[in-house]
Amino acid sequence: MTPAISATGLTRKYYDQVALDDVHLAIGAGTITGLLGRNGAGKTTLLRILGGQEFPSSGSVQVLGAAPAENQDVLRRLVLVREDQTYPDYQGYPNFKVSHALRAASFFYPCWDADLASSLLEDFRLPANKAIKSLSRGQRSSLGITIGLAARAEVTLFDEPYAGLDAVARQIFYDRLLADYADFPRTVLLSTHLIDEAAALFENVVVIDRGRVMLDTAADGLRGMATTVSGPVLAVNSFTGGRPVWERRGLGSQASAVIVGQISPEDRERARSLGLDLTPLSLQQLVVQASGGSAGAGAVTGRASA
Amino acid sequence: MNAMIKVARYHLVMPVMFLGLPWATLALVFAVDVAQGGDKAFRAGLAVFFGMFFVTGVQRIGRWLPFGLTLGATRRSFYAGTALLGVSMSLVSGLVIAGLQAIERGTGGWGLSITFFRVPYVLNGPWYATWLTSFVGLAALFVYGMWYGIVNRRWGMLGLLAFIAVQVLVAIAVSFVYSRSGGGALMLRPAGGHPATLSALDLTGVIAALTVVCLAGGQATIRRVTV
Repeated sequence: MTPAISATGLTRKYYDQVALDDVHLAIGAGTITGLLGRNGAGKTTLLRILGGQEFPSSGSVQVLGAAPAENQDVLRRLVLVREDQTYPDYQGYPNFKVSHALRAASFFYPCWDADLASSLLEDFRLPANKAIKSLSRGQRSSLGITIGLAARAEVTLFDEPYAGLDAVARQIFYDRLLADYADFPRTVLLSTHLIDEAAALFENVVVIDRGRVMLDTAADGLRGMATTVSGPVLAVNSFTGGRPVWERRGLGSQASAVIVGQISPEDRERARSLGLDLTPLSLQQLVVQASGGSAGAGAVTGRASA
Repeated sequence: MNAMIKVARYHLVMPVMFLGLPWATLALVFAVDVAQGGDKAFRAGLAVFFGMFFVTGVQRIGRWLPFGLTLGATRRSFYAGTALLGVSMSLVSGLVIAGLQAIERGTGGWGLSITFFRVPYVLNGPWYATWLTSFVGLAALFVYGMWYGIVNRRWGMLGLLAFIAVQVLVAIAVSFVYSRSGGGALMLRPAGGHPATLSALDLTGVIAALTVVCLAGGQATIRRVTV
């Protein structure tokens, strides 16, 4: 099956800075994929290239089977919601309002759903006649999300869409995204720092660090990929013997270790008999590992050592 | 729907900015001219209206391009749609100027001997010549403004300064070559009242040619603009 989004040897340099470094990627159609990584990892650059707003230095990208840059057939089926989106607002009069932005969007997207847009504005408590320049950061995010969802584009790219949104509004976003996705399946690529909060959405996860893809896998495969073992030092050492370990910590007679691999029922029984606690690593903790946040970072990307 | 038409509709989503502002500015300048009153002196108030087209061209790129690309317009379609709208606006505005000029003539300068819509040498002929010259002039300034906006978005302030410097150098070079080739006799001398050998319609033709150059330049420059 042709992936909805693919990148081959994608590199983007800004003078001596490498934003993307030989990225290879394939995202299947009709999936929700989390694009994760630290600030400056290259997520926004990747999304901008996918959205046709930026050009690669080398390599290639394909969206819906073709290069997106200057490709009307692809771009009308794609929406990119950016955290730093600028609107044509002016100092003083006249004001570019929320309603202007939505009306403009309705011209461009063939599947635009005006009812959905209205209902999202209501949910986000965003007045349609409010000037965009007077919106708070969270309200601007709400506007971006509204456009992104109501566009019903085949490929929907969200770049940190909920910066500044309160917890209730974020939950509205998750709920509405899932509900609309169920009714109108599409390919969603969502970049976020609120990893654990959004983890339940993801079918796939792509982790980028320093412009390179560190992890590209199914989210289900990640869940249970690593486990924290904690308890008495001797018991932890006994349990982890011969297993790949990312990280060890000790405090007096207690210790904890992060081990890689699935835990079998026999392992659980043994841990119980040794008086150990087993806690699966959260997606966020896995991303921290993959992004070089700890000494055992290489393990997530397949470079674990026993 | 054609991509260019979508872009044009996008620009007109807030019509007061595109359609109203230049005319509101013109009305204001005209009111000031009237208030200063009927001494027949030409004060070039109409130039402000033409200047507004340049500013509008700059702004349509600087402020409207980023969201336009986010909405799925290509650079080419955005450029073509914006230029199409600007040229259409110029066509209609030129006609209105020709009409206002006719009224000004018919009423003896609005009853106050005001010379506002009759610009010596440039816009002082029959209505169709005024229409054509003002249309071409307005379109040229709009497209020229767009090119400035594109250069600024692509290369920033340094690029803009380099762009201006190149134009100054080209103007100096053309002027030098022209004078060396004995073309000095064709230079315009409207202020002194001497008959110019380059007519207003000839000048319109030159501006039209420059508009085509600006259109081609803008189209080539926008191809690699990022937002």
